[in-house]
Amino acid sequence: MTFRTLLLTTTSAMVLAGAAGAEDYVIGVMSAQSGYLAPYDGPAYAGFQFCIDKMNANGGLNGTHPVRTIVKDTRSDIAEGVKVVQEMIDDGAQFIVSSADADPTIAAAQITMADGIPTMTFAGTAPVLTQVGDHVFGSYPADNQQAAVLAAYAREQGFAKVYLVKSPDSAYTLGGPEYFGTAFEALGGTIVGTSNYSLNQPDFSAIVTTIKAAEPQPDVIVTWAWEPDFPAFIKALRGAGVATQVMGGDVLDTPTVRGLGDVVDGVMHTSGGFPDEGSAYAGFIAEFTAATGTTPDNNYYVNGCDIAHMIEQAVAAAGTTEPRAVAAAMAGIENGKGVMSDFTFKGTDRMPLREVVVARITGAGDKEFVLRATADPATLPRP
Amino acid sequence: MSDAALLAHPARLRAANLARTLVCLGLLGVVVALLTLVFGRAGERIAVQMCVNVAAVVALGVFCGNTGTVSFGHGAFMAIGAYLSGILTMPASVQRSALPALPGFLAGHELSLWMALPVVALAGLVFAALSGAAIARLVGASAAIASLGLLIITHGVAVGAREITRGSQTFFGVPRVVDLPLAFGAAVAFIIVARAYRESAMGLFSRAARDDADAAAALGINPRRTRFVGWCLSGALCAVAGALYGHMLGAFSPASFYLSLVFAHIAMMIVGGMASVGGAVAGVIGVTLLQDGVRQFEGGGDLLGFALPAVFGLTTVALGLAILLVIWLRPMGLVGSFELGPGAGARIFDRITARTVPAASPPPVPDAILVAEGLSKSFAGVKAVVDMSFEAPTGRVTGLIGPNGAGKSTLVNLITRQYAADAGRTLLSGRDLGKISREAVARAGISRSFQNLRLFRGLTVYENVLVAALAAGHRGRDAAAVTLRELDAFDLGALAATRAEALPYGARKRLEVARSLVQDPAILLLDEPAAGMNPAETDDLADRLIRIRDTRGIGILLIDHDLRFVNRLSNWTVVMNRGTLIAQGRPEDVRADPAVIEAYIGRGRTAAAVAATEEETTPRQGVRQ
Repeated sequence: MTFRTLLLTTTSAMVLAGAAGAEDYVIGVMSAQSGYLAPYDGPAYAGFQFCIDKMNANGGLNGTHPVRTIVKDTRSDIAEGVKVVQEMIDDGAQFIVSSADADPTIAAAQITMADGIPTMTFAGTAPVLTQVGDHVFGSYPADNQQAAVLAAYAREQGFAKVYLVKSPDSAYTLGGPEYFGTAFEALGGTIVGTSNYSLNQPDFSAIVTTIKAAEPQPDVIVTWAWEPDFPAFIKALRGAGVATQVMGGDVLDTPTVRGLGDVVDGVMHTSGGFPDEGSAYAGFIAEFTAATGTTPDNNYYVNGCDIAHMIEQAVAAAGTTEPRAVAAAMAGIENGKGVMSDFTFKGTDRMPLREVVVARITGAGDKEFVLRATADPATLPRP
Repeated sequence: MSDAALLAHPARLRAANLARTLVCLGLLGVVVALLTLVFGRAGERIAVQMCVNVAAVVALGVFCGNTGTVSFGHGAFMAIGAYLSGILTMPASVQRSALPALPGFLAGHELSLWMALPVVALAGLVFAALSGAAIARLVGASAAIASLGLLIITHGVAVGAREITRGSQTFFGVPRVVDLPLAFGAAVAFIIVARAYRESAMGLFSRAARDDADAAAALGINPRRTRFVGWCLSGALCAVAGALYGHMLGAFSPASFYLSLVFAHIAMMIVGGMASVGGAVAGVIGVTLLQDGVRQFEGGGDLLGFALPAVFGLTTVALGLAILLVIWLRPMGLVGSFELGPGAGARIFDRITARTVPAASPPPVPDAILVAEGLSKSFAGVKAVVDMSFEAPTGRVTGLIGPNGAGKSTLVNLITRQYAADAGRTLLSGRDLGKISREAVARAGISRSFQNLRLFRGLTVYENVLVAALAAGHRGRDAAAVTLRELDAFDLGALAATRAEALPYGARKRLEVARSLVQDPAILLLDEPAAGMNPAETDDLADRLIRIRDTRGIGILLIDHDLRFVNRLSNWTVVMNRGTLIAQGRPEDVRADPAVIEAYIGRGRTAAAVAATEEETTPRQGVRQ
């Protein structure tokens, strides 16, 4: 009896879900609301839905295409992601926004390929994720862009010898330092050493000892480590008396890292944007905070909103909501207008060319703006 | 159970095993049909994922369920299967761009999935054989941790082998060819294979060793070998399941086969019941229905007129609660430790009357003699057995008595090689038992019972005896016939379908003796077979043993505290005290031996006093120390 009730109620829910207006532009959102992707997908989805709601209040995309979103939790599980993206296509999804990682995005893209449904990752930054097909798009500055901008900045500051700390356990923690090394060497710098760590490694003393013993000594250490690895590493490094400049990827742009105190004083990292006073980004934060009571404390919120803008501009350029046309139009966007930063897909492999910010953490827990630059596509390290 | 029912038991057991397999298949089939008929394409996708998970969890259960050891290492086999099948089936054009540095011998095959799967199974088997050579040596937590180590190592290699796996980056371009017929067919095949293995001789050996490794070894079963075989079969199946999983996803990375997947599969297995194939199937179905049922309400919406808020993460919470409830209310899982479906004793099988004729009593065993020569054993400096020498020939009951702590059971354990002797040796008709494996002692002609009951509690009475018959080399109908013979001889026929742990105490004792006798030993070592029995049961057991001695001519080494029981049966008595031999001879001579009297009742008593004491204690069934 219970099972029958479950079947009936579930069927009812599915029927109701499919009863929306036929003229809506349907966007399927794979959002991991639990699991390891939740810290990225959650804010990105919040920002995305916030801006979609705003657009719908004004008639939808470009004021003409109301948007209906189908949001499904993937639980950060790739098999679940495969299932929900198929369900969303069944429900009429014309655009898929996928989780903030390469695995679920590529798995989804292989399914959407048959119908050419444009598929865009929330915040996946691995440059390889667009290799699956012409319908796959990134949204955030890719790892190689971030690394190229950071390497150029490091060389400008006179750093010549870098020590790379990377983890082969993820494309991000492995790729970032390697892209940095490639760009750094292309600019005349030297890699003086490399150490590998495992994700969630509790003790970095061996790596710190190796760095201390490196000959010649590095003048900058680069890692794309995230939490809890970066806090463990930086504490071990500073605790051992190593004061060498440390640089990292955009994953260090979190309140937790900034709250580490003196050990992160001076650490520099990339970021997708910076809310300068009076900027559109700052306006977004104020508006979002006023509307929801939550203050965005990372770039995923605003990047989610920018995905809504990317879709809107692609539909406008395509003049239709036909998936293949929208994908083609998206690939041709040049200097599209975003809130975090503008974006260009034209001439790229569909990882958008966007400004990269370099920021410095202070011992007081603040973030200082250092520079904003766009990587040169001609010199980007290849995936 | 009537005689007719007992004789029909083997046929009914075969029918029950078939029925249980069909119940597993039927359960899966019904759920798949409901999902696809009620929910259409969405339900079909749920069914595909469920069937692939059934294949993976059933494969995992082939090892875990039959050995009782939880493995975390099966994600490694799934990864091997997925990557290998992906490489073999990937279109060459995709392969050139996705895997530009792929070694030549792996590149450009473009096989169909059907061509790739045998290669995958073989690779899984080879990897299982290599890893199993080490892991099968371990038991319990050690084996579980070792399997976790295997998973970690394989994950590390997959991440490092970038030319083959793309390292930690997404491995894509794998043809997504797993549809419902394929997934369901695979699940059906896996269930049939797992069920067949579980009920096979090796499966029975494995479950016996799972329940009691020492008792299994005493029957001639090599517990390590059973774990190795289970590991290999499970590994090969898991590799195939991994290939199916990979072809269902189309894209994956080493993380896809790491702890999250492994824990999910183990959770499904434990929720359903680790000990049975039906448990694995029920666990996957239960978890899938729970998660996908709850998932429909995560995003909010209307339910019967009520507006539901969006509560993401509800599936994880529901699964956690389900696991807690199952562990609390049904520690052995939803299905428990028996297979789903009717057992051989169910009334549904009453119509099956095909009889197996019990084997005739075997001819008297050839003359043989067990000789202990100077056996000694110390534990941490404490001398348990010191220079023990005696003989136990066929056709004679040799009583071995002595006060508590005299070293009698240690001596039996030395003879059967459960312990290695520090000095001395044991000969069976001149053959040095110290030069054969522990398991070979049973095949050499020595069976034993244990001081503390060591039955295979997860097996039925019939299976307890059958497994011993199979271990002794009997097969098929012959094994069934000798099993029926012993069950009948010990009045256990009515309990044939009863699980051993559910037996009354006296029946358990009889079952242990029957299990030993089915191996047709030349020498039977009985370690306190009458302990805990009431006088009637003790007399009954003595009658049966005398009959067996007289008709089969086997030699019995009988240890018991019940002197009346020992004296009634023994033709020769060996007395130990503090690990040493203090007397041996005819029972009446031994009873009068001052050293024996002193050992039992203290210095200063006379033989007459002892005799008087014995007269007084006889009605109370012997002297208990």
